[in-house]
Amino acid sequence: MNLINAFFSSIWGFLNRSFHRLGSPREFFKISNYATPIFGLLFTVLTGYGAYLGLFVAPADYQQGDSYRIIFVHVPSAWLSLFIYMVMATASAIGLIWRMKMAFVVAICSAPIGAAFTFLALVTGSLWGAPIWGTWWEWDARLTSELILLFVYWGIMAVYYAFDERQTAERAMALLAIVGVVIVPIIHYSVEWWSSLHQGATVFRDGGPAMPASMLTPLLLMALGFTFFYGYVLFLRARNMVLDQERKSRWVRELVKSSRATGEAQ
Amino acid sequence: MAQNTFYLFARREWQLLFRNTSALVQPLCFFIIIALMFPLSLPAENELLTRIGGGVIWVSAVLATLLGLESMFRSDYHDGALEQWLISPRSLPLAMLGKVFAHWSCTGLLLALFAPLLCMTFRIPPDQIWVLFLGLMLGTPSLSLIGAIGAALTVTLHRGGVLLAIIILPLFIPILIFGAGMVTQQAIGGSTASQLYALAAILVLALTLSPFAIAAALRTTIN
Repeated sequence: MNLINAFFSSIWGFLNRSFHRLGSPREFFKISNYATPIFGLLFTVLTGYGAYLGLFVAPADYQQGDSYRIIFVHVPSAWLSLFIYMVMATASAIGLIWRMKMAFVVAICSAPIGAAFTFLALVTGSLWGAPIWGTWWEWDARLTSELILLFVYWGIMAVYYAFDERQTAERAMALLAIVGVVIVPIIHYSVEWWSSLHQGATVFRDGGPAMPASMLTPLLLMALGFTFFYGYVLFLRARNMVLDQERKSRWVRELVKSSRATGEAQ
Repeated sequence: MAQNTFYLFARREWQLLFRNTSALVQPLCFFIIIALMFPLSLPAENELLTRIGGGVIWVSAVLATLLGLESMFRSDYHDGALEQWLISPRSLPLAMLGKVFAHWSCTGLLLALFAPLLCMTFRIPPDQIWVLFLGLMLGTPSLSLIGAIGAALTVTLHRGGVLLAIIILPLFIPILIFGAGMVTQQAIGGSTASQLYALAAILVLALTLSPFAIAAALRTTIN
């Protein structure tokens, strides 16, 4: 019993420490120095290999021919549009509860990326729908709720930029992000609750994926690669924001000074 | 004290609204004018109006609610009452529930009661009018409660009106879909139960959670 207790308390202690380290802008910046290129590399490799498998190796669909290959962009973007929303809402909650600066930075930097993926999912969906369904757009549950998600992302960004004072802005934005969480289950289950033109869940469903491995592997690779892309862009944006917010602190001034010095040396 | 807080804030809101009757009448006039602009802008076919009437009335109700929301906290913010609420020992969520309830009874409830009259101008059959009325009675309180969150978030901004519309209308869309969907279902003879349950579920969620969100929003924006 004591052993178990000790085990959990040591894990909790480790999480607590790393949480606090990430919570400090300076530590975050240090960690991002290493993490950013790693994320970028993983994204390039995974997406590159996934795209190769998807476009050249995977067989053509027996009904849709080659046009189905847009799935390797469409489905990962749709997944990410929801995933990023959940990351944003979780970060917002952490920020509001523990008053953590970095959590707000993550939340705010995620919003435009999430909106971009939502937009991409909508555009690729309508490009796919035009030859297969015979229509660019249909007022169906899945499509409409994804469109609402795009509006929610826009609203969250609009709230953040409406306030002059940063603290108010980030807390207002965080609150709205949490309120908007109700939309996520609606989108996720829309194809099950309403009979819709959009197909039901094909990958994550009872009884395993309804898709051959030759198509599933590139799809999952692309999804993983897109996730790393999100992490990569998030790190880039967050680094910028941290530098801007902390521009008056000592470590940023020193960083600027030293990077200027190396710039002149080169 | 708990009941008292709810009642006190509701009574205060009613007093204010009845002393300033223009605030009471404006959303209603807006509602009627918006709804009646559709027949004027569409081809004069009774059949078409009957088909789209339910949706038109729902859209007008959503817009009229939005109009009423903008002024919900504005005067309280300007005369300093809002700051007093924030520092008072009374429960802010409960107080806000009382305020929103009173506000709804003077906007959403009025809209729902007037909607059947409008339905007649659209020649909507009685069974659908009944369904529409039921949907509005269940849906407009949710609109007021969810909208109050947005109103609280934007109360300190000078041009908060447009922003309020941008952040709140997407959250209104599910209610609109279920409410207008009920009327369509009734028109084709289907069962309206699922939409009714969904509206009721949204109302339960909004009643229990949004007072806390409104309070948190006010504490965020007012320092």
